[in-house]
Amino acid sequence: MSIEVTNVNKAFGSFKALNHIDLKISTGELVALLGPSGSGKTTLLRIIAGLETADAGSIIFDGEDNTEKSTQDRKVGFVFQHYALFRHMTVFENIAFGLKVRPSKLRPSKEAINGKVRELLSLVKMEELAQRYPAQLSGGQRQRIALARALAVEPKVLLLDEPFGALDAKVRKDLRRWLRKLHDEYPITSVFVTHDQEEALDVADRIVILNQGKIEQMGTPEEVYDNPVNPFVYNFLGNVNLFHGRVHNGKVEIGSLKLDIPEHAKKDNKEIVSYSRPHDIEISVEDEGKGFIPAEILFIRALGPVVNLELKRTDSGDYLEAEISKERFKELELHEKQKVYLRPKDFRVFIPEDYVI
Amino acid sequence: MPSKLLKIRQHSVIPGFGITMGFSLLYLSLMVLIPVSMVFLNSSSIGMTAFWETVSSERVLASLKISFATSFAAAAINVIFGVLFAWVLVRYSFPGRKLIDGLIDLPFALPTAVAGISLTTLYAENGWIGKVFAPLGIKIAYTPLGIIIALIFISFPFVVRTVQPVLESMDIEAEEAASCLGASKLQTFYKVILPTLLPAIITGFALAFARALGEYGSVVFISGNMPMYTEITPLLIRAKLEQYDYAGATAIAAVMLVISFTMLLFINVLQWWAGNRDRSV
Repeated sequence: MSIEVTNVNKAFGSFKALNHIDLKISTGELVALLGPSGSGKTTLLRIIAGLETADAGSIIFDGEDNTEKSTQDRKVGFVFQHYALFRHMTVFENIAFGLKVRPSKLRPSKEAINGKVRELLSLVKMEELAQRYPAQLSGGQRQRIALARALAVEPKVLLLDEPFGALDAKVRKDLRRWLRKLHDEYPITSVFVTHDQEEALDVADRIVILNQGKIEQMGTPEEVYDNPVNPFVYNFLGNVNLFHGRVHNGKVEIGSLKLDIPEHAKKDNKEIVSYSRPHDIEISVEDEGKGFIPAEILFIRALGPVVNLELKRTDSGDYLEAEISKERFKELELHEKQKVYLRPKDFRVFIPEDYVI
Repeated sequence: MPSKLLKIRQHSVIPGFGITMGFSLLYLSLMVLIPVSMVFLNSSSIGMTAFWETVSSERVLASLKISFATSFAAAAINVIFGVLFAWVLVRYSFPGRKLIDGLIDLPFALPTAVAGISLTTLYAENGWIGKVFAPLGIKIAYTPLGIIIALIFISFPFVVRTVQPVLESMDIEAEEAASCLGASKLQTFYKVILPTLLPAIITGFALAFARALGEYGSVVFISGNMPMYTEITPLLIRAKLEQYDYAGATAIAAVMLVISFTMLLFINVLQWWAGNRDRSV
């Protein structure tokens, strides 16, 4: 089922949680709503579910206006961050709940309900825990039961509110892989909220980045990671280094370094900020005369195949981060407090007047 | 696992199991066990036959029936309205909410005789409320119905005060989950909310019931104290005392104590069951 959100506004008192949100999600898509806390992502999800009402705008499922429908009638599956399992019911009863509360005409037979619950228990690999109570399960198990419970009513839309937010890193990674696999097997339209960019990039078909109640950018993980439209998105998706400089004669001047930037060539003599990811920083031990930026290595973290360097520019005093491969690290024979020279290989330039961070 | 059952003392970071447990037992003995055991000691002085004759007399049996029946009815009615009150106070915000919240404890603060007198004035045949019901052939004051009303009044705060904090701390997400799964509001209430409140409701019921059983001051005025009809056991005990029949009075008291204790024990077991269902391993 497709979801269409048109021109949705929502305010809590004087706080504008959502500001003219337009969003289309096609059938079978797995979409992540990504943003910092207070960006309105959970509010948007709750409005789609009908748990919250929008001040203006409409929610359309498959061309049918659902704005006025109650949560009960929307037939969405909702998974809460803190599981929201029914504590006085066993795992089995929790999963069966959605089928048992149906009006008697639509309610499946007892055997059919049992069969369905068994099927879902095997899907979440928890058959032997059917008679346990939620209090006797670990966080990861509880969340899988919550997911099985939501799937029991065969919803056309699955909404997940920070589903893995309360779990530890390892379980989190396992569960999100599992969710991706599940979605590939049962392609039900899914929207999940997260503040973890790694999670969004890893799982989603498409990412919607929200900030202060507005959509900043939408696109596939590659699109948004490689082509952030503004400094906020750049900052939010991974680590980033800032270089303050000026545009002069079609070139960016950062300290003694001059770099070509065709897209801002006309904006002469302007303050700019250029952004570069740590893995796009080139490091050399000697000044090769190309106007590299001098810096000093403060700290080296050499775990795994990638070596993280913390650097301090000796000309401006700004702190930078760089990532280089282990081979390169060995080749250069780097050590702490060493003087090095660096240059952003790949970067994007934003003019600060347009964007305020 | 017998070894687990035998282990009374559990390891704790806070020391002092011996002294705290010892003090608790001492306090319980001084304040509850010794006074209560005096009842049995006193009543045993008259011998088995006399004891049995006293407690099996028609008047005593009738009073026990009235006491337990009216207390049970009052506690049951308080469960329904107590939950409703707690619900209104926790879930809605309206002007005067704090005031109503404060008024709920009033029956505790009021001398019960005052409550009895004012209830009698209201519910007597010529009182404001009694006047409305009299033409319909319903007498309230000087009937068991009057006793029930007095008992409802004095035991009203218990259910509200036990259910209120549970309702306040209740996870609203469970209700949202239920509605996402297609449950109606009514289904959500009796399948999700009510089971969560059940242990607190049972506690409130037990407290209200126990309080109503022991009530004396307000009932004296509204019941009319007619033997075999509106005479409650505490009043009968008092009547015996006024005739200097101390042994007879304590004999009735002993019977009442045993019945009360059995019922409270049963309620406690019920409550343990309700509270532990979701925690049992």
